[in-house]
Amino acid sequence: MWIKDLLDVCGKELRKTVSDVGVLVFFIVVPLLYPLLYAYLYGREVVHEVPVVAVDDCRSTTSREFLRKSDATPDLRIISYCSDMEEARNLLHRHKAYGVIYIPSDLDHTLEEGRQATINLYCDMSGLLYYKAMLSGCTMVSLEMNRNIQMVRLSGMSDREKEVMTMPIENEYVTMFNPTNGFQGFLIPAVLILVLQQTLVLGVAMMAGTEEERRRRGELVLGHEYDNPITVLGGKALAYLLVYGLTASYVLCVVPWLFHMPQLWKLPTLVTFVIPFLLASIFFAISISFFVRDRESCFLLFVFVSVPLIFMSGISWPTSNMPAFWRVFAQIFPSTQGVNGFARINTTGALLQDVRYELIALWIQTAVYFMISLFIYERLYRSDKMPGIEFVLAMRARARRNVRVAVRDIRSDIEEAAERIRGRRKK
Amino acid sequence: MSGKSGFWAIVKRESSRMYSRPLYGLSMVFAPLFCFIFFTTLMKEGLPESLPAGVVDEDNTAVSRSIIRNLDSYQQTEIVRQYSNFAEAREAMQRNEIYGFFYIPKGTQDKASSQEQPKISIYTNATYLIPSSLLYRDMKTMAVMASAAVGREVLTARGANMDQAMGFLQPIKMDLHALGNPWLNYNVYLSNTMLPAVLVLMVLMVTCFSVHCELKDGTAKEWMEMAGDNVLKAVSAKLFPQTVVFSFMALVYIVILYGYLGFPANNGLWPMLLAAQLLILASQGFAVFIASAIPSLRWSLSLCTLWGVLSIPISGFSFPVMGMPEALQALSYLFPLRYYFLIYVDQALNGIPMVYSAWFYTALVAFLILPLVDISLLRKAAHEYTYLP
Repeated sequence: MWIKDLLDVCGKELRKTVSDVGVLVFFIVVPLLYPLLYAYLYGREVVHEVPVVAVDDCRSTTSREFLRKSDATPDLRIISYCSDMEEARNLLHRHKAYGVIYIPSDLDHTLEEGRQATINLYCDMSGLLYYKAMLSGCTMVSLEMNRNIQMVRLSGMSDREKEVMTMPIENEYVTMFNPTNGFQGFLIPAVLILVLQQTLVLGVAMMAGTEEERRRRGELVLGHEYDNPITVLGGKALAYLLVYGLTASYVLCVVPWLFHMPQLWKLPTLVTFVIPFLLASIFFAISISFFVRDRESCFLLFVFVSVPLIFMSGISWPTSNMPAFWRVFAQIFPSTQGVNGFARINTTGALLQDVRYELIALWIQTAVYFMISLFIYERLYRSDKMPGIEFVLAMRARARRNVRVAVRDIRSDIEEAAERIRGRRKK
Repeated sequence: MSGKSGFWAIVKRESSRMYSRPLYGLSMVFAPLFCFIFFTTLMKEGLPESLPAGVVDEDNTAVSRSIIRNLDSYQQTEIVRQYSNFAEAREAMQRNEIYGFFYIPKGTQDKASSQEQPKISIYTNATYLIPSSLLYRDMKTMAVMASAAVGREVLTARGANMDQAMGFLQPIKMDLHALGNPWLNYNVYLSNTMLPAVLVLMVLMVTCFSVHCELKDGTAKEWMEMAGDNVLKAVSAKLFPQTVVFSFMALVYIVILYGYLGFPANNGLWPMLLAAQLLILASQGFAVFIASAIPSLRWSLSLCTLWGVLSIPISGFSFPVMGMPEALQALSYLFPLRYYFLIYVDQALNGIPMVYSAWFYTALVAFLILPLVDISLLRKAAHEYTYLP
């Protein structure tokens, strides 16, 4: 009996979803296109060839070599050689260049004396990536040139001896899991998870808003003809889960594949993780959708939340350095766990035991939000806001009577209630 | 309502509409205020300190222990644990306990002293880009210093003094000056654009929503009549109370950023106040343009929302516009926030003469007058429109 109701509600909800263009946009179109836009936006991962200007007061072979080599790095491009800092500054101000390499006149002299010479770099801080590009580009060049200078100074030793002298302990750097160390690999997993949660919230809220509008106009809403709020809630959740099973497999599997991003997950791990994430998001969406009074207000209420949410996940500013309050506050959103879990499963190949904390948290969220939405549904059932109030009263009366009789009586009660509603609407 | 008409009557009518619906209070005051507080307190450290990192010390000698000790003394790195092997450290990274680790293989000290050039490795989890880059910087410095320490020993043993030793080990030194933000403060870097970005998003949505609500609720005719069928008067009077509220919110974030937190505003507050005011007006202008062009509440609101959300990445404050595909570079000219960001860089961060930013201010004004193109459509819609869900 209840399973039939459940499937019935589920079917109606699916039909409602498909017939509402506004909801379809949130459930299908946005998840389909938005991640592509983001992946396209960050597709080049890092900035190459940041335009800089050079001011060479030394004009020696060494200084020219330094500038030539800097220009040759993938990070930097020297767009102009200026005669003084004034001219260089002017180019910075006009956004033609984002940094200045200044070589002082005493470079050669200092090197000849065997002392340490300094090259000054000035970097525009409108973007940290300019800083990063300048730092890594020039450091690379200076390391190489330092080595050559040392080699010359050590002439007489064997090559091997020289190498050991100049770099007694070698070091290597490995960026694990995001080999290009770029923006796409780090930001996209977070964006994908957030798109899933937020479109769910917006779509569900839009439906709730529409229902609320109809309720205010006195029209019937789905739900009043079933005996138990749990079946209604369960049926709706099942419908969303079916839709989002498809949406999520596209967003989480196809999109990263399209953009050649790292995908180290194993299918059972991913599925075991994504299901509680979707459930938590669904009941979260249902819970907060009750705040929505009309169809379009979901935009104003929920869109802006995405911006702090992406930061709460700790993908950008590290969780370990958040104030305790925000760290705790972030735990109430499924996206926080979703982003952290998915980023690690997808990008670092983490297994279930590595995301144990996130997994447990998501199941707790699912339970809590389920209880909250059930509580509100129950109240909605009993409140006189529903046009089906006559039905609720009939149900209560039934409960007082003998259960055996109730099964027979309930149908006539519903008929009666429906008749009364119809009559009222005619009025 | 029939008796009253004119600019102030509409202003009064709109004010009471705004007051009667909590939705407006939530989206015009609460939402931006929440984000202002969130972003500025989230990153109040400025630059993350004591990032958890690990060490795999298979060597366990005086040299390796001194490396670990030195690394721990860096402000940004905190060695939380030592792992016995590589796999264990990698798993800790997958569990998100550490953002990176140092790997010192067996025999490092022996090889160093017998001049065999050992190799130590730095691993960071680049899934978390900011902590990964910061840890890398500390670890790299440490690795170079460890190497230099060994080199210095060899050199001083051969009779060189400290100056000569450094002159030999690192003949050319880099001195990198970060203009305008020498502390590499992330709060300065992010909040300066995040706060106005949230405000722009809310302005775009609220403007579009409130204009279209007149059509949806069927009050548009009354509204037009009050303005004597002058659509420009109707719209400007309707949006005026919103302009006041949003401008006040802009003032709030300016006071938070440049007053309370003392972020660099090298040309003083006035250029930024002007920019913020123009940003509000430009966003309202843009939203009216969209609302007039698309006669459907949901579609025009969707487009305004998309514009508001997209303006955050496309303004180029985190990932530079020059690194984006050409099509998006061209598109970035259509976002008011992009111009605000450029003004901020010039006026607050770098403090250069205002004449350099003149074009950006002008562009914001252009957004304000953009609705003149299609606002007549709104008048038409007000008379003929029927709401479709």
